Amino acid sequence: MIRLTPSFAGQFLGIGGLFVGLNSLTMTVCAARIGDITETVWQTQAIRFLTLADPSVRFAVFGTVLLGIVCGLLGGFLVVRRMSLVGDALSHAVLPGVALGFLWNMEKDPVAIFIGATVAGLLGTGLVHLITRTTRLKEDAALGMILAGFFGAGLCLMSMFQRLPTGNKTGIDKFLFGQASAIGAEDIRLMTVVTVLVLGLICVGYKEFLLVSFDPGFAKVCALPTRWLQHGLMLLLTFSVVIALQAVGVVLVSAMLITPAATAYLLTDRMHRMLIYGALIGMLSGVTGAFLSFLGTHLPTGPFMVLSASSFFVVAFLFAPNRGVIPRWWMARSQRVRIVRENTLKAVYQILENEEFRRESVSLRELAERRRLTFDEALREVRSLVSMDFATAVDDLVALTPSGWQRAASIVRNHRLWELYLTHAVQMAPDHVHDDAEKIEHILGEDAVRQLERRLEFADRDPHGRPIPAVQVIHGRPNGNREKRATGYGKSS
Amino acid sequence: MSFIPHFSAHQIFIAPWTTDFSLYGWMVLMTFLVGAACGLVGNYLILRRMALMGDAISHSVLPGIVVAFLVTGSRGTVPMFAGAVAAAVLTTVLIEVIHRHSRVKQDAAIGIAFSSLFALGVILIAVFADTVDLDQDCVLNGELPLIPLSPPMTLAGMTLGPPAVVRMGCVLFFSCGLIVLFYKELLLSSFDPALASAMGLRSGWIHQSLMIWLSITVVSAFEAVGAILVIAMLILPGATAALISDRLVVRLGWSLVHAALSAVLGLHLSIGLDCSPSGAAVVVGSFLFGVAWIFGPQDGLVSRWWSRKERGPETLV
Amino acid sequence: MDLSDSSSSLTVAPIAEESPLEVHDLTVAYRKKPVLWGVDIRAPAGKLIGILGPNGAGKSTLIKACMGLLPASAGWVKVFGKPINQSLARVGYVPQRESVDWDFPVNVMDVVLMGRYGKLGLFRRPTAADRACARDCLERVKMLPFADRQISNLSGGQQQRVFLARALAQESDLYFMDEPFAGVDAATETAIIELLHELRYQGKTLFVVHHDLPTARNYFDWLLLLNMRVVAFGPTEQVFTYDLLQKTYGGRLTILSEVAEAVRVKEA
Repeated sequence: MIRLTPSFAGQFLGIGGLFVGLNSLTMTVCAARIGDITETVWQTQAIRFLTLADPSVRFAVFGTVLLGIVCGLLGGFLVVRRMSLVGDALSHAVLPGVALGFLWNMEKDPVAIFIGATVAGLLGTGLVHLITRTTRLKEDAALGMILAGFFGAGLCLMSMFQRLPTGNKTGIDKFLFGQASAIGAEDIRLMTVVTVLVLGLICVGYKEFLLVSFDPGFAKVCALPTRWLQHGLMLLLTFSVVIALQAVGVVLVSAMLITPAATAYLLTDRMHRMLIYGALIGMLSGVTGAFLSFLGTHLPTGPFMVLSASSFFVVAFLFAPNRGVIPRWWMARSQRVRIVRENTLKAVYQILENEEFRRESVSLRELAERRRLTFDEALREVRSLVSMDFATAVDDLVALTPSGWQRAASIVRNHRLWELYLTHAVQMAPDHVHDDAEKIEHILGEDAVRQLERRLEFADRDPHGRPIPAVQVIHGRPNGNREKRATGYGKSS
Repeated sequence: MSFIPHFSAHQIFIAPWTTDFSLYGWMVLMTFLVGAACGLVGNYLILRRMALMGDAISHSVLPGIVVAFLVTGSRGTVPMFAGAVAAAVLTTVLIEVIHRHSRVKQDAAIGIAFSSLFALGVILIAVFADTVDLDQDCVLNGELPLIPLSPPMTLAGMTLGPPAVVRMGCVLFFSCGLIVLFYKELLLSSFDPALASAMGLRSGWIHQSLMIWLSITVVSAFEAVGAILVIAMLILPGATAALISDRLVVRLGWSLVHAALSAVLGLHLSIGLDCSPSGAAVVVGSFLFGVAWIFGPQDGLVSRWWSRKERGPETLV
Repeated sequence: MDLSDSSSSLTVAPIAEESPLEVHDLTVAYRKKPVLWGVDIRAPAGKLIGILGPNGAGKSTLIKACMGLLPASAGWVKVFGKPINQSLARVGYVPQRESVDWDFPVNVMDVVLMGRYGKLGLFRRPTAADRACARDCLERVKMLPFADRQISNLSGGQQQRVFLARALAQESDLYFMDEPFAGVDAATETAIIELLHELRYQGKTLFVVHHDLPTARNYFDWLLLLNMRVVAFGPTEQVFTYDLLQKTYGGRLTILSEVAEAVRVKEA
């Protein structure tokens, strides 16, 4: 378990807050500005979107749902295989294919674009593979180069295309940052086909894709066609990038692959759940992004989708059960509080022990001296005990309740057993064992204590000659009879 | 008007250096400066296997620039540099925090951090479209042809040239200076970080300074080539040089040659096809990489083929 | 019995039954640099065979090349008399523990079930019988209580046991194990070696890459001493000699003293 100090946690909160803050800032700023221009437009747009009033909205919503599902699902494989940036290179590399697809018959023909982009994407990833295999360049350099090189070629083609009289009206520029409202019936048909294909293949070949991602060598020994599976996955990824282009845009489509899947990775321990969560988060981010970009007139869709996905990620990063930063910080904090409380209990026990348990209570002053604290700090610790019902405080006298007594005795017992174990079994010198026992006493569980007892043959004295509190002491208050108190666990019943 | 313009040798090869020199001269110079400055820092990125940090920084510099502009209302050098450096530092910190405190790996952390910041930048530009002197096109493409048109900068009565070119020149000079001064520290920390820190070099500091150096280079190149093509400018010269030589000094030299060649040939290509000049420079740069890949002395496909023929098949994989 | 000169041994030993693993003149190169040279092996059935050699001797490379995970530049490999890709169903594999990402979102049961994938065939879901088999294998390595754990929440020894259970689930006749004892606790090491002996008694052949000389003598029936070439291959008592070990480990002083110690223990 990673222990977080408050300053660390503060840092996280700071950065997380900054992130969320920036996101919400943009959204409010953007809403405010749209409000400035025309008061009614964004409200009518919102209503238009939410009621799915006309086909263009319905297409946009349906399209973003489909692309979110496909990207979130397939992104899962990229994230667990540490290939996220392959997705980035792939998504930039499709641009020349998109431009050539436009060139095919000088208008937006989804099938031509789909084919062109797929070919370009596969060519790009193939080249990355070839460069890393035949040269000394590492994968990062090859990816960066292909990403930017193909993108540059695509920009050249686009600038040539836009020069043509028909070029500007075709909406090729919408492919850079995405425009959900430009999704048409033809696009939807294509997206549906691809989504069904992807879902079908992943369902059928889940086990194969899982093994090939987890342990390719073993997959090969299992006689799986690893090469075909890898290529197949790459092809599906290319498909997912290509259908997402229209709505998310070339530049940011990789984020729709990475961010929802990474968010899902924080939420679960099983691959199939991760894929499902990824698809759901992708879908939600897609629709949210489309909605936000609908509010303005010339707002691109892609960046809004990406920011929605990032917001989901930040939430998961901070609050994911068990693994989120804040649950972890909280667990570490409550453990610290418990340790302090146990140390106070131990101090009370030791003060009473020094007086051979002739008294029932200790004064706050004695406790403060023993714990080397100021009066106020000791008071705070006592209050914490009282709040947990471990002690009662009358004036400045602190007395342990039965449950407090039980806890205190068991901590002392853990400490002394551990010291004894270290000196006997590990042969450490008696003056070297205290610090270690100070830490271990709070962690030892019931089972470990039983084992220790058995190994130490139910000894009753620690290396420094002090008695180890026996079990009935833990379960009830000592009655002053020290012979009985020192009886071992085994003989008590 | 056709897709590929009519070929005119005079217009493509002669005019840029004679009649239109006042326009194209600055463009070629700017492209060279961008390629050279980016290529120098890019060599180190490749050496340290951090090429994709270059990708991340070049994207995330965008919101830095936009926010700096919105805050100060000017496109001066200082706010732009400050914004870019702040964005670069924020990116590295975000990546660190994400991959250190969750099980998300570094690659995904890079992807998440830069795409969010870039998206933020694009949205800011879209929303403040009428106040920010940037459009989405410029973000991707740069506006190389507009650079010679801006009023030249003067210093002590001397006319120096367009401010972007002067700035880029200073950055290149600064990069050369850094390399000359810290050549052995940079080399050691890139080659063997463990030994470097054993000898007292703070690898964290070197990493962070490299990121700042990178962000300054990227932001000065931004105006000319935009946020994405700058990755090509960062990686292509170094990658090409890496296929030619094993020694870092020689690689640095070759990356300058690559920058110069892609600037000049890119200009001719862009005039010939009447397309985006920055895109054309990248295409030529990729082409030069391809040439080095095929004909390179060690890794080159031709030399590999040759050695396979010479040595016989059994020594090869 | 030094089989690096295999032609003679092939003519001497009459072929009673097909060998689980037959390797002839296997050469593997990485980036033009040879890692293995002219390896000849003819393994007897039902033996626990240790592969020993210094770092970089090509131990992992050998077993990977035998399973067809690495391309051979020359030579051939036959498993049960057939080329490797036709007899993969009879081969089990325990890769090095570091070769996979332990943060991968799968639990122990998922990993062990992967051992059944080869038998299942393409696109078939694991059945109840496969699950039962996987539970059985987990029980044999005493990991059943951990079946629902995510694999990163295991100790090194437990992770190794999971890999072993996965190999058991393959129900193979020939096993290749890459350093199954690396980074495991003493209890796990004992448990693993007992399991390996049990498999051997069932007539399976096991190749185990090992790096600890002193234990090698007690663990294995046969040893393969490897240093880019086969130095020796034969029953442990014939191969575990000072001369052959020195030949394998060359002039590495620290290891040599270890060798001397091991031999001294053997002779005592």
